[in-house]
Amino acid sequence: MNRTLLVALLVCVSVPAFAQRGGSGPANPFAGNQAAIQEGDATFAANCTQCHGARGEGGELGPALASGSREDGRNNDAQIFNTIKNGVAGTAMPSWNGKLSDDQIWKIAAYIRVLRGTAIDNPLPGDVAHGEQVFWGKGQCGNCHMVNGKGGLDGPDLSNIASIRKVNSIEDALTKPEHRIFGPGGAHLTALPPMDGYPPVVIATTSGQSYNGVLMNEDSFSLQLLGSDQRLHTFDRSEVRSITHKAKSLMPTDYDKRLSTDEFKDLMAYLTHLGTPRATGRAAAARQPAGD
Amino acid sequence: MNRASVLPILLAGFALASGVTLAQTVTDTNLLKPDPRNWLMYSGSYNSQNHSLLKQITPQNAHLLQAAWTHHMSGMKDLEAVPLVVDGVMYISQFNRMDAIDARTGNIIWQYQRPPLSTAWQKGTAVYGNKIYITTSDSHLVALDTRNGHPLWDIKSDGDNILAGGAPLVVRGKVIVTGNRPNGFIQAYDAETGKYLWTWYAVPKPGEPGAESWGKQVPQGGPVWASGAFDPEQNLLIWGTGEPRPTWTGTERPGDNLYSDCIVAIDVETGKLKWYFQNTPHDTHDWDSLEMPVLIDAVYQGKPRKLVVQANRNGFYYVLDRTTGQFLHGAPFVHKVNWATGLDAKGRPIVVPGHDPSALGTTTCPSSMGATNWPSPSYDPDTKYFYLNVAEGCAVNVTSAGGGGGYNESPKEGEGWEAHVRALDALTGKIMWDYRAVRSNHYGPGLVSTAGGMVFAGEQFGQFTALDAKTGKPLWHYNTGDLITASPIVYSVGGKEYVAISSSTNIFAFALPDAPEEGSKR
Repeated sequence: MNRTLLVALLVCVSVPAFAQRGGSGPANPFAGNQAAIQEGDATFAANCTQCHGARGEGGELGPALASGSREDGRNNDAQIFNTIKNGVAGTAMPSWNGKLSDDQIWKIAAYIRVLRGTAIDNPLPGDVAHGEQVFWGKGQCGNCHMVNGKGGLDGPDLSNIASIRKVNSIEDALTKPEHRIFGPGGAHLTALPPMDGYPPVVIATTSGQSYNGVLMNEDSFSLQLLGSDQRLHTFDRSEVRSITHKAKSLMPTDYDKRLSTDEFKDLMAYLTHLGTPRATGRAAAARQPAGD
Repeated sequence: MNRASVLPILLAGFALASGVTLAQTVTDTNLLKPDPRNWLMYSGSYNSQNHSLLKQITPQNAHLLQAAWTHHMSGMKDLEAVPLVVDGVMYISQFNRMDAIDARTGNIIWQYQRPPLSTAWQKGTAVYGNKIYITTSDSHLVALDTRNGHPLWDIKSDGDNILAGGAPLVVRGKVIVTGNRPNGFIQAYDAETGKYLWTWYAVPKPGEPGAESWGKQVPQGGPVWASGAFDPEQNLLIWGTGEPRPTWTGTERPGDNLYSDCIVAIDVETGKLKWYFQNTPHDTHDWDSLEMPVLIDAVYQGKPRKLVVQANRNGFYYVLDRTTGQFLHGAPFVHKVNWATGLDAKGRPIVVPGHDPSALGTTTCPSSMGATNWPSPSYDPDTKYFYLNVAEGCAVNVTSAGGGGGYNESPKEGEGWEAHVRALDALTGKIMWDYRAVRSNHYGPGLVSTAGGMVFAGEQFGQFTALDAKTGKPLWHYNTGDLITASPIVYSVGGKEYVAISSSTNIFAFALPDAPEEGSKR
């Protein structure tokens, strides 16, 4: 394949994402049922995580069931159900027929669906109000990040973060120096995206001036900087004497250490609630603006 | 043909004001030695050098280049197609679609749209006589009249073979097309009538020679979705083939998996294999060999030789004798290659164990995106440099049950993906200069060089850049405002040299101004 994307799925058969609404096979009787999803989580934790990882990220013996983006979940619930129930011949994936009831398997499928959604589809439990206090207080997140028009400019706006990132992606950003927010694979962009890494730099110009800030974009010929003076600056490379990258990112990655266990849990609860749940079917259609 | 619909947009003033003669018939002689004013095939010439003999635009005046026109190819997306130019008319294709454009003004002359609208990737077209050929999303080959886009014939591809998006190539009165499904193949049709002639399959059927290199598995894969080269003296098509299947796991297919990941030489009259060279035996990283093989005649180690050179997706640059396929030389052209320590005397990689994809992920350099990929490289006979787009970096390769898998950019410092344009010494592969396309991190787009001493290189993130062919110094650039995933071409109309590139859904053409500034050299 010239443009293979990372689709580390339970089985390699892929169907369009919309197939889960009326695709092949019966609909999941527990889709969206929060109590059932929690039961699915518990059954998954007891039986599946040894191979597939705590949040379906993959493990020693089994593949990832959910990667970092919203693009993956391409198997409909009926396919997930069949894979669990019947196993996958020639692999370590056993048949769970007789070991788990059909209801339990459907609940796991509902939970995997949640794993494949973004954080807002399954926000973490905790004290959201306390998490918000940590965000603006001890965590100092608001110094760089904005939520609903309040906060700093030097990092991404987080007002809708739970709609665009998975839980593990948010957690990785808070705790892992080397993490990458995986898109739908490496190969083929279909539109030119903005650069959203917010790397801190110092730009020295040939006229002797120096600018601190975060790089908003660059190419072979120009740079666009959000300065620490909170103004945008643009440079032709011919005007630039040096560009010093101060760090890969300003983002601290030790929040699991600098916060208490409860503070971290509540901050995660707050962040995973920042967004709008995904609309489907008629609700999604209704959200489209009317044309004229 | 009955399903075809033509939307002729015949603009007033079919002939250009200054009397350029349009739509001349393209003959075998034209194809063997193209007029440099035209761009008659995907790679410009049969040797696939992607090099124009035009020399109006030079390092001295390139800073004066300006946009001449833009054509929006409505309904498309991220065009990969290389346009052709025949006597002042540009033809650009998609599956089911062709736009004919006045190559001097950008005005559309006619448009052919066979239902349905398709945005699947398609890389170009081919021309012969008064016919221009397109492939369709339902695996037909259609010949259109170059003058008005009227379909002259429309045939379904032979057998159960489904045509892919590679540009057709016309050779000795045959249209050569390729495909991936059910397995890789190269096929020939009579260019005049559409009559089916032959098929060569990239993987053998059980019992055929080569099948023994697959263990007990039935050979699968070897997709062919890119165009290739033609050696008229030997009457050989010289082409690359794709990866074995399943792509990411090799345990079920022990052996070299012929003729996957090969450069092959096929007799154009018979469709029979004359020789092959396998770049990546038993591939588990999707390192197909579909990167353009470039034919060079050169003195090699004191002897005139007919060579074919290729920068392969696996990170190595290869020099072969194209009469036999004999390996002569190979060297890495990226800084990070960790899956092999080098090539042995026969060109076989000396593999470092432990690089197969795994459930947890295995880091391998170069990435499966490829150290380079299908977008066109070029060869300049003046500098004797081979120019190409390079992707440095590594990937984490994973497997999933059932033979699935894939890759992602390595998150480790120093292993991220970076795009470069590089010049290699064509005979040794030594890096002669390097130009970093800042922010771009993908393998494409392609490039073209000229006798004027220029290399034109698109950058993935939208810059179209003119480089000095000798030094790699950027001389001029234009922000097209969207992704570039195609290779540029160079042509001339009415005495003016143009360079054209697709970006997203638009084709841009650039030229020097009519009245250059005083003191500039034209």
